[in-house]
Amino acid sequence: MRSLPLADPGTPPTSGPSALLWWLARRQWGILLVAVLLGVTMFACQAFTPYIVGRAVDDGLSHGFGPELWRACGTLLALGLVVIVTSAIGHRYDIANWLRASFTASQLVGRTVSRSGHAITAELPTGEVVSAVANDALRIGEVYAHAAHFLGSLVAYGVVAALMLRVSVPLGLVVILGLPTVAAALGLLVKPLQRKQAAQREASGRLTTLGADTVSGLRILRGIGGESVFTGRYREQSQTTRRRGVEVAQTQSVLDALQVLLPGMFVVVLIWMGAHLAQAGTLTPGQLVSTYGFAAFLAWPVQNATMMLQATSRAHIGAGKVVKVLRVVPSTGATPAAADAPEPGVRLVDEVSGLVVKPGRVLALVSADPDESARIATRLGRFDDDAERETPVRLGGVLLSDLDKDDVRSRIVVAEATPQLFSGPLGGELDVRGTASRDDLLRVIATADAHDVLDSVPDGLAGELPEKGRSLSGGQRQRVALARALLIDPEILVLVEPTSAVDAHTEARIAVRLTEARRGRTTVLVTASPLVLDHVDEVAFLQDGVVVARGRHEDLLDDVAYRAVVGRLMDEEVMAR
Amino acid sequence: MKLPIADTATVRAYAAVLMRRHRRPLIGIVVLHTLAATAGLAGPLILGLLVNAVTTGTTTTYINTLVLVGVAAVLTQTVVMRFAQRTSMVFGEEVFAELREEFIEAVTALPLSTVERAGTGDLVARTTNDVNKLQHAVRFGVPRVIVAVVTIVLTVVVCLVIAPLVALAMFVGVPSLLLVTRWYLKRATPGYRRESAAYATLNGTITESVEGARTVDALRLGPRRLARVDADLAEAFAAEKYTLRLRTILFPGIDATFVLAPAAVLLWGGYLASQDLVTVGAVTAIVLYCYQVTGPVWELIFWIDEIQVAAVSLARIVGVQLVDPDREPRDGTPADETIAARDVTYAYREGHNVLHGIDLDLAVGERLAVVGPSGAGKSTLGRMLAGIHPPARGSVAVGGVPLIDLPLRDLRGHVALVTQEHHVFVGSVADNLRLAQVDAPPEALERALRAVDAWDWVQAMPDGLATEVGSGGAPLTPAQAQQIALARLVLLDPHTLVLDEATSLLDPRAARHLERSLSAVLEGRTVVAIAHRLHTAHDADRVAVVDDGRIVEIGAHDDLVAAGGDYAALWHSWQHE
Repeated sequence: MRSLPLADPGTPPTSGPSALLWWLARRQWGILLVAVLLGVTMFACQAFTPYIVGRAVDDGLSHGFGPELWRACGTLLALGLVVIVTSAIGHRYDIANWLRASFTASQLVGRTVSRSGHAITAELPTGEVVSAVANDALRIGEVYAHAAHFLGSLVAYGVVAALMLRVSVPLGLVVILGLPTVAAALGLLVKPLQRKQAAQREASGRLTTLGADTVSGLRILRGIGGESVFTGRYREQSQTTRRRGVEVAQTQSVLDALQVLLPGMFVVVLIWMGAHLAQAGTLTPGQLVSTYGFAAFLAWPVQNATMMLQATSRAHIGAGKVVKVLRVVPSTGATPAAADAPEPGVRLVDEVSGLVVKPGRVLALVSADPDESARIATRLGRFDDDAERETPVRLGGVLLSDLDKDDVRSRIVVAEATPQLFSGPLGGELDVRGTASRDDLLRVIATADAHDVLDSVPDGLAGELPEKGRSLSGGQRQRVALARALLIDPEILVLVEPTSAVDAHTEARIAVRLTEARRGRTTVLVTASPLVLDHVDEVAFLQDGVVVARGRHEDLLDDVAYRAVVGRLMDEEVMAR
Repeated sequence: MKLPIADTATVRAYAAVLMRRHRRPLIGIVVLHTLAATAGLAGPLILGLLVNAVTTGTTTTYINTLVLVGVAAVLTQTVVMRFAQRTSMVFGEEVFAELREEFIEAVTALPLSTVERAGTGDLVARTTNDVNKLQHAVRFGVPRVIVAVVTIVLTVVVCLVIAPLVALAMFVGVPSLLLVTRWYLKRATPGYRRESAAYATLNGTITESVEGARTVDALRLGPRRLARVDADLAEAFAAEKYTLRLRTILFPGIDATFVLAPAAVLLWGGYLASQDLVTVGAVTAIVLYCYQVTGPVWELIFWIDEIQVAAVSLARIVGVQLVDPDREPRDGTPADETIAARDVTYAYREGHNVLHGIDLDLAVGERLAVVGPSGAGKSTLGRMLAGIHPPARGSVAVGGVPLIDLPLRDLRGHVALVTQEHHVFVGSVADNLRLAQVDAPPEALERALRAVDAWDWVQAMPDGLATEVGSGGAPLTPAQAQQIALARLVLLDPHTLVLDEATSLLDPRAARHLERSLSAVLEGRTVVAIAHRLHTAHDADRVAVVDDGRIVEIGAHDDLVAAGGDYAALWHSWQHE
């Protein structure tokens, strides 16, 4: 089996679900073809088995123990051997088909997600994107896994019909026409069942949400009470879910009963006709046995056909959802660069606010409205070409949006206020470029005052961080993220509220080390903390989105408006002085 | 600390108790399915008789009678099947509902210290994934296993009754069937668990990428995230390949049994028939039974597999019920509302003391601020003061009674803890508040919300207090969620409150405003505020500086500043003086 995932999943059409399904089929036509050939062989052999059993009854049993019986048994074993081999190898090919298609779909979603920027969350709920991989990709694969059995079943149906027609035209006709009728009748009954199953699933989904909600807030519940309210709520929904389940059981049991009744009656009718033909001498006893065998066997191809129908419709829905993800256009860099990159060591200018970031300086950005300064800092990093059209930012005179996106990202790094950590070994997650030495790592950890993280993660740098670094406290996560940003060491580093979640002691230490570490490197810090402002080269003070003052922190403190913002005292106290 | 997982013996005992509790419906189900399966055995038997009759010559009446018996059998099986299936599915629903409700009850009764330390991730996983995995096995698996076992046993019995000598041949493949199944089942559970773990990791990776889309974009982590997706897929592929290998052995092993059996019966039966020891019809019937029993055997193996996997989930679910209580309520009524900590020592890990013999007395109505560097043990001290963890040594008492001797209900009335953890429960804003006071009138809710500066935005929501919030409802910012948590505390109204960074998610000015309105409402209450913002300390009656698990300085703000220690140094740099 070819190893997965493929190095290159290719570029799929995003015109619609059917186009995607065809594209996938074409990419794996070779293994699909082998699977189908194996499936057809297996089913054809299976279809022949009742015929041989019938022959054995006639030739062997009726005419005594002799070479005919040996031959019949030998044929049965030979057919059986082919079935065993084709079924085992066929299963491997079915799984290969399934995995190839669904892994390709997952890879494509993964590719989109890692390039899209925030466009993905803006356009689709997280759950839907995750579900594209967790469910839809697997549903897509199913259709390719069922293909062989489905086509094999069709062939088997044809074989049985031909064999029956040879024995007796009326019996053959009953099989050819009767079986699809039975299948259709059962198919009609599936609809109401599916409705009730959907209702049950919905109730059960709500129950899961309720359970997860209760447990997520368990610390709060245990701390202040209210457990009984919640268990009561859960119990109620649990009972609703049970009732929905009982409703499913009502319908399902009727369907189960009909699955006994309809095929059962079909067999009885065949036997009745066959027995009379046998009595009249037009049918041998062995052929009567074959007839019974065929009727029993055919239930299987019919089941396969139904499954294929369901799988196809599920795959189509799944492909639709995957296509929806694949259509997401990245929020930046969707179009190629229009200008050459300027030399290093040039100014970065935000035109609307008048903010000028001079090379080699550590600059702090202060505003009465912390969101405002964060917004300006963020657009220095170019995160959304559409939204930022009105607020041009220039690097060395060139519009950021005209530059090559990767180039912008490698020169300017913006670490936002709530950066996310990812699961993985701590050292690896800090060193996102994969170039740092152990000393580099320890150095940035020291700068970010994150030593305690090394102690709280078992095995230190080699230790695993869980999803989103959840095992760390808020302050620890912030410091790890700060260390990560420092380690990238870009030409221009923009840090938004890098110390908002740490205590004053720690903040004081970080302020000294951080400004020292970035001394001489272009740095923008968004913060209103005097502990940090005290150490920066320069402060730009914003009011109503415009830079109104620039200077050293201690000089700006004379400005009442500035003092009101950065002062640890509230306005009224400043006034009272 | 990890939550326990039940061992095999405990899980078996638990399952046995469940079964015993439902003995009556279980017996009913077995009886009904036995009836249905018996009726289902008529087909081959009737065919055998017909073959005998046709071979030796017969009458139309005889044939019609036999066919009528067949019709009766199908009808009987249909009707009984309907009731058997309904009863067993309803049974499955009932048992499963009971199981999940018992589980949630156990979860919400977990000791405070366990909830604080185990983290929510594991518990949420048990509530959602494990409960859902179990669902399939309990709702469908248990009934299906009963049906399969009953059918297999009856088929064998009938064959032995018809012609014991011939029937011996049908067991020819059984030893190899048992061997290969045993081989497979031993390896299957870890194999399938590895598969689901691999897919869970993949889903986690995608979730992280989507939720951290901004960070991925900002730090140019796209290629890393992509490599992660591919690595997860490669692991999923390896896991799939392993189980595929298992099935590549299992499938032929079982198929071989069902190829060998009918051929052996034919040959051996043919010999016996030639000796006139059995009739051709009897041999025919047993050959057909060999084919007919294939389905139930496959189904049994499939479900044993599923149930094995589900048993692992059950072990995790039962495990929650094994947590011992961390305290035993004792007699004793607090004499007053003073809190006194004596020689409080605590270690999360043996030998790593986080607190080293802390002594602290809180006067009634006092406001104490706790400051200190990260990892100094501030939060641990807070938990001790709130009675969450029993101290390793020493005690925390209210009015002379140790906190951990108080029944939980009373404890909450004395001391409550609010952390920076913000969880909004599914339900209305009012529901979220009433956790603390089930019958609180709307005026009380308004007062509580006003106390935390939240009344304005709550009123501005679409349905005010009745607005649905939490997962799926109106989104609240982390700061708003924190306000709700504090409002809840106001409603609970204990005489002592421990606030652990309870306003850290608000911006500094809003936080300070909130703290002031809150303190107006909490007049006369004892408040311990763990804070990283120095203004909180400035506003408090006393400040305790915690470092390395000890209180290194304690006193009024002005006194500490005058004393010129650590705190003073920090305050000066904050003040910029």
